[in-house]
Amino acid sequence: MASIPVVQSSSEFRDTFFKRGGEKAARCYQCATCSSVCELAPANAPFPRRQVLMAQWGLEDQIISDPGPWLCHQCNDCSVRCPREVNPGDVMAAVRAVAVEKMAFPGFLGSMVGNVKKTWPLLVITPIVFWFVVLFVTTGLGEIEGHSNLEPSALLGQFFYDSYVPHSLIYIVYFAAVGWVALALFIQGSKFWKMLGTRQKRTGTLIGALTGVFVSIALHSKFSACDHGVPKRRWGHFLVMWGFVGAAITSGWAVVYLYGETIFFSWFFKIFPFEKPGYPVEITHWVKLLGNASAVALVVGGLLLWVNRRKTGDKLVGSSTPFDRFFLWIVLAVIGTGVFTEIFRFLPGITPMVGFGVYIIHLGVVLCLFLTLPYSKFAHILYRTLAMAHERLTSN
Amino acid sequence: MGEAKSLLVIGAGIAGISAALEAAEAGAEVVVVEREPYVGGRVIRSHNYFPKMCPPTCGMEINVKRIERNPRIRVLTSSQVTAAEQADGGWRVTVTTNPAWVNDKCTACDECTKACSTEVKDPFNLELSKVKAIRLPHLNAWPKRYLFDREAVPEDEAKKIADACAYGAVDLDAKPTTEDIEVGAVIVATGWNPYPIDKLDDLGGTFDDVIANVHMERLAAPAGPTAGKILRPSNGEPPAKVAFVQCAGSRDVNHLPYCSGICCLASLKQATYVKDQLPEAEVTMYYIDRRTPGRNEDVLLKVSELEGVSLVKGKVGRIEQANGSLKLHVEDVANDALIEAEADLVVLATGMAPAAGDLDLAVFSRKDDDGFILDDLGSNVTVAGVARRPEDVASSVRDATGAAARALIAAGRSA
Amino acid sequence: MDKLGVFLCTGCGIGDAVDVDEVIEAADEQGCAATLTHECLCAPEGLEAITASVSENELNGILVAACSERAKTEEFASLTKDGLVMFRSAIREHCAWPLKEAEDDEDKTLCAKDMVQMSLARLDGMKSFEPLQEEVNDTVLVVGSGRAGLDAAVAAAGLAHPVVLVETADELGGLLALQKSIPPEEPPYDKPQPNPVPGLIQEVKANDLIKVLTSTNIVKINGQPGQFKVELNGSSGLEMTVGAIVQATGARPYDASKLTHLGYGSSPDVVTSHEFEKMLLDGAVSCPSDGRTPKRVTFIQCAGSRDPEHLIYCSSECCVNTLRQVAELKVLDPAIESAIVHKDMRAAGLMEHFYLATQETTGVMITRGEVNGVQTNGKVSVQLSDSLLGDNVAIESDLLVLAVGMVPNAADGELIRELHDSRHQAEHSESSQVRENSAARAEELVDHEGTEILHLEYRQGPDLPALKYGFPDSHFICFPYETRRTGIYAAGTVHAPMESAQAGEDGFGAALKAVQSIEMAKRGEAVHPRAGDTGYPDFFLQRCTQCKRCTEECPFGTLNEDEKGTPELFTLRCRRCGICMGACPERIISFPDYSVHQVAEMIKAFEVPEDYEEKPRIIALMCENDALPALDAAAANGATWNPWTRIIPVRCLGSMNIVWLAEALSRGVDGVILIGCKFGDDYQCHYIRGSELANTRLDNVGETLERLALEPERIKLVELSHDEFGRIPTILDEFSEELDEMGPNPLKGF
Repeated sequence: MASIPVVQSSSEFRDTFFKRGGEKAARCYQCATCSSVCELAPANAPFPRRQVLMAQWGLEDQIISDPGPWLCHQCNDCSVRCPREVNPGDVMAAVRAVAVEKMAFPGFLGSMVGNVKKTWPLLVITPIVFWFVVLFVTTGLGEIEGHSNLEPSALLGQFFYDSYVPHSLIYIVYFAAVGWVALALFIQGSKFWKMLGTRQKRTGTLIGALTGVFVSIALHSKFSACDHGVPKRRWGHFLVMWGFVGAAITSGWAVVYLYGETIFFSWFFKIFPFEKPGYPVEITHWVKLLGNASAVALVVGGLLLWVNRRKTGDKLVGSSTPFDRFFLWIVLAVIGTGVFTEIFRFLPGITPMVGFGVYIIHLGVVLCLFLTLPYSKFAHILYRTLAMAHERLTSN
Repeated sequence: MGEAKSLLVIGAGIAGISAALEAAEAGAEVVVVEREPYVGGRVIRSHNYFPKMCPPTCGMEINVKRIERNPRIRVLTSSQVTAAEQADGGWRVTVTTNPAWVNDKCTACDECTKACSTEVKDPFNLELSKVKAIRLPHLNAWPKRYLFDREAVPEDEAKKIADACAYGAVDLDAKPTTEDIEVGAVIVATGWNPYPIDKLDDLGGTFDDVIANVHMERLAAPAGPTAGKILRPSNGEPPAKVAFVQCAGSRDVNHLPYCSGICCLASLKQATYVKDQLPEAEVTMYYIDRRTPGRNEDVLLKVSELEGVSLVKGKVGRIEQANGSLKLHVEDVANDALIEAEADLVVLATGMAPAAGDLDLAVFSRKDDDGFILDDLGSNVTVAGVARRPEDVASSVRDATGAAARALIAAGRSA
Repeated sequence: MDKLGVFLCTGCGIGDAVDVDEVIEAADEQGCAATLTHECLCAPEGLEAITASVSENELNGILVAACSERAKTEEFASLTKDGLVMFRSAIREHCAWPLKEAEDDEDKTLCAKDMVQMSLARLDGMKSFEPLQEEVNDTVLVVGSGRAGLDAAVAAAGLAHPVVLVETADELGGLLALQKSIPPEEPPYDKPQPNPVPGLIQEVKANDLIKVLTSTNIVKINGQPGQFKVELNGSSGLEMTVGAIVQATGARPYDASKLTHLGYGSSPDVVTSHEFEKMLLDGAVSCPSDGRTPKRVTFIQCAGSRDPEHLIYCSSECCVNTLRQVAELKVLDPAIESAIVHKDMRAAGLMEHFYLATQETTGVMITRGEVNGVQTNGKVSVQLSDSLLGDNVAIESDLLVLAVGMVPNAADGELIRELHDSRHQAEHSESSQVRENSAARAEELVDHEGTEILHLEYRQGPDLPALKYGFPDSHFICFPYETRRTGIYAAGTVHAPMESAQAGEDGFGAALKAVQSIEMAKRGEAVHPRAGDTGYPDFFLQRCTQCKRCTEECPFGTLNEDEKGTPELFTLRCRRCGICMGACPERIISFPDYSVHQVAEMIKAFEVPEDYEEKPRIIALMCENDALPALDAAAANGATWNPWTRIIPVRCLGSMNIVWLAEALSRGVDGVILIGCKFGDDYQCHYIRGSELANTRLDNVGETLERLALEPERIKLVELSHDEFGRIPTILDEFSEELDEMGPNPLKGF
């Protein structure tokens, strides 16, 4: 008997958890309607009934090491049918939020983003300020006005940001950021993967499972199962995701392009069809097209999600917390500033000062997005992927 | 007890009848007002009572004899209280008696029924079968008088039916009558309605083979639509797999937020109906909590030990029709696993909704959020049975006796 | 009755089914003073015709040969006044409608003639009577002062009856008085409610109609409703007369020392819900071991309830009371974590609201689970299987509260009686066998030694008979106050396991029943189930042989015995079932309107043809409460059966006297069938044991028949429920076929 695990309800954890949007978990009487109506719950490890219970009792360790919350796509079928208005969908969202914070590396960043309601100015302003400082030190902002390259070209009223924000600078900063993000994600990911392993025995390797997972993600097939819960949410999220992927490719390509001369990347343009385009890159070039298409996808997808929130009832949408909204605002800010940065290049009568300012803000917001990514809602990319892989390796 | 006090009882279900009888046998003058053309309310539609598995008509037989022997009770059937106002310490109520089209000359000889060709859905059998438009409401109906669904019958046939009665009991010119009654106190015993099954679409409330517990009572009753045989409504075949779905619309903020208190025992009882008739049948009961308080724990013990009966902790979330049978989605909580169970007859354990919930009369002034009515001793109103709270028959009768006591005290105080 | 009139209705198809003139002739042959036929006797004209004939011919007895007495009851009852005796013969339901009849045959007419002759014979023996007029005391004695007792006292006083409230403790209030609060009884049912007991105690003490006696016990009670002589000890050795009694002696907590498997006794930090309640009441919750304030408290439900090793039943109140204790604990010290382990959370009915509210306000950790063990080493660890987490888990806490069930403070009168009888037998019986068995039985029952509460001086024991699990509950769903000791009603947790709210309600109900029994005694009426019957039995004791069968068999303890064993009748205890009359071998017990003689005369009255081939004859003795209504329903439903059966209604099969059987068979009747209520554990007999007693009497008859060279199968008993009308034709026709195979009764024609 001694080996039996001790369940210790913890009011402290319960309270933090309730503050993160899971407070209705207290009402649950464990009828399991939620699990029985869930389209995504694996038959051998149903959710969300169990997770709501762990939340109600405040069983921290068990809840953050549980794959269920990540397999949930929050269609809120359960919340609609719950006989006691527990809103298990929201409970699962709260579990995810708490899990992200608890698994964060380093912890303080996790709790900063976790408590974004208080900390958001710090999180947003710092990177922007950082950029101003860096540019002041390197290029010296004062000289911008008289800068020679600022003469509008013959073609259009366009001017080039790189003329006073050296790309090298950008890439030093972002390479560092990306490196950092990768590290954090790797540490958190392996931690989570290990936790999952201790719960259920897996057969097969992560790599083996990932292919299937990626296909499922690419098509958003899980969302389709949910659809009667939240109509059209699938396509909104689909566009947003692919928008980000497109943007990532564009920027990746840009990096390569700029350093095409260097030995690291010279091989790149040997490969058909990558003949080196002229500089600046033509607006009709596929990279530009991809970049703009991604922007459009992001905007349209975002709008779809937003419209959908307006149209459907509360229970179906689930309530949103500052944690969710922060993630949304950052994304919108990145998209917004990005788009305007480009527009302002062509808009006649826009003084470089304005475009430049927007551009710097854009750079700051992007940096913020990077640095908070492992601790924001973005982290679901990591955890959900791993959980889905885990599911494949445990479902016999 | 002091000088005789007069009471009005609204509703002649088991609670109303009991309250009236206990008060009248104690010496009070009592008037009972019943909306239906016969007494017995909900219980008279049940096959058996738990835990004894005895027919409600047996007790009603005694109660009817008690009424007939007692000169102090007046029962007004086909009647409703249409107005009520407080008057010198008690109440003045207006009772409207609707034309029953059959008067008390009726000898129950059945000639009118023979003359009647129109058939209607039988409300007594919860519309599971058809009956003639003029008939005895049910075999043990009291008063023993035929009722006539006149609206359902063309005028010329109505005349034919009236002529068929040798005793002038069919009165086509009957008019509604009203009467003012002054009483010292009012006992509200308006009872309950079964929660409508068609509001439970997730649970297949509209499917043929998904029935409510109240329907099961009729199916099992010898005087029921199938002469007591438990058959699938879709094809008239005996079911091989029967599922009981507990808390169907009860303990549910989307339907009835409270527990109806009787459904667990009702389903366990009905499981024995099935096993007695169809020993081979598999019976499964899906529950949240098994609520069989007091000595009724016996029933739970007895039934859960039956061969081929299993109880599963987990509420059924969804029911689908799948090639001729039904598929139940439920989590087997004890085994932490989702199951898709097959059944060819599903009984939804629907709850009790207070019948007076939406009635608006001065005597119903004190109501809780669920529509249950509370004692208002200040104005000489007491409440008996399920009008007050969901509960089983024995508790209803006990509370009815208590309500009668409080009503008599209130009436005596202000007399 | 000497001047009888026969009134034959020809309506409802009777006229077409039977030859009316022949039936009337048969009546005339019986020499009755008036006969009349009418096409609708129940119509005002018909009733007037009867009244006219009654006054014209100065009739003192009338036979209404028409429909079942369950039809047109009020109409015909209106005829019986100033001593006029009426008997109704159901020609319609027992003859005209259901009998199978071949073309141009006259079996229905024969049956109708028999019925009229039988009924006249019965009527001839019936006497008119006046209700009993006895001196009746208005006082209600309430025993026990918990919530049920207090409410019963308040109620009875409210109904203008004097009350004597007796409490064995030196304070009023019982177990509930020691409770901080009670579960909500008023909407929105979301938090505990103040304990009503202190207020009730004030009310009781302030009420002039209520006499309160604490530290008082009952020494003995004898007599009958309206005239109970009560002797009390205590402060002043009182004697008094009361009219009725409410027993509200409550319940006690189940003995926790038997709950070692739940750790009780192994650590002071394992306490019962009642010990924990004391802490709440004192406003200081602490661990008894070292007085520290617990960080965690765990509550185990069904501690010793719903447990074959302990109490099999559910005590009904524990779940909701634990929720209440959790709510109170939160108020007292919000920092304390609480957890509940249950088998099922039984917050039934509107208490669902309280369940939800408690979850929301306290954050209590609730799980179902089977408790496999409790370890007490420093912390108290409860080991669970089948928990909501699916696997085995342990819950650790500083304080463990066992929600213990309730045990009724009741004594089982009949078992105490049996104990004493067995002891007596063990000493005085001649047969050594009997002495052994009795000694053994006495040993089994020794626990009942000295458990008396009411100390009734009743032949059948000093207290109410207890039902399953020792609660003196009612066996009937429809009649929760049904009691086998007239004028004595149980209320509250002694009655059945219940919550405080129900106990209060029960107190009011029992009080009304007590008052009612007093009022009915004043009117000389029987109480339930023959409520309002004013006839009562007469014992012709000169012929009594002290066989004690009547005193043994009366289910209601109506009869005492003197030392010789002669029955001593307490009429106001009597329920008029006639079981004593059926039991009596000397046939000395009779009701004015129902007697061994009257039914025997019916059996003698009808014609038994000697040429069997044509006409066998069968008598059906049918219980008027269940079997007869079923037969009415069958007839109304168009069922048909053989025309050989003659039906005789009986109050209860228990009133069946074997003389009737002998009479019938000796007359050449081919068989007698008795149809009555189901017996056994779930008996449906309104007189508890009637049909069962009839069945045991038949066992003895069997041997006698064999001695007479008669097949015992000629007498058959069938159990039937009120709703089993569908079985009636089968039962009657099967018996007729069985008799057919046996051949005619050899005694025919002697």
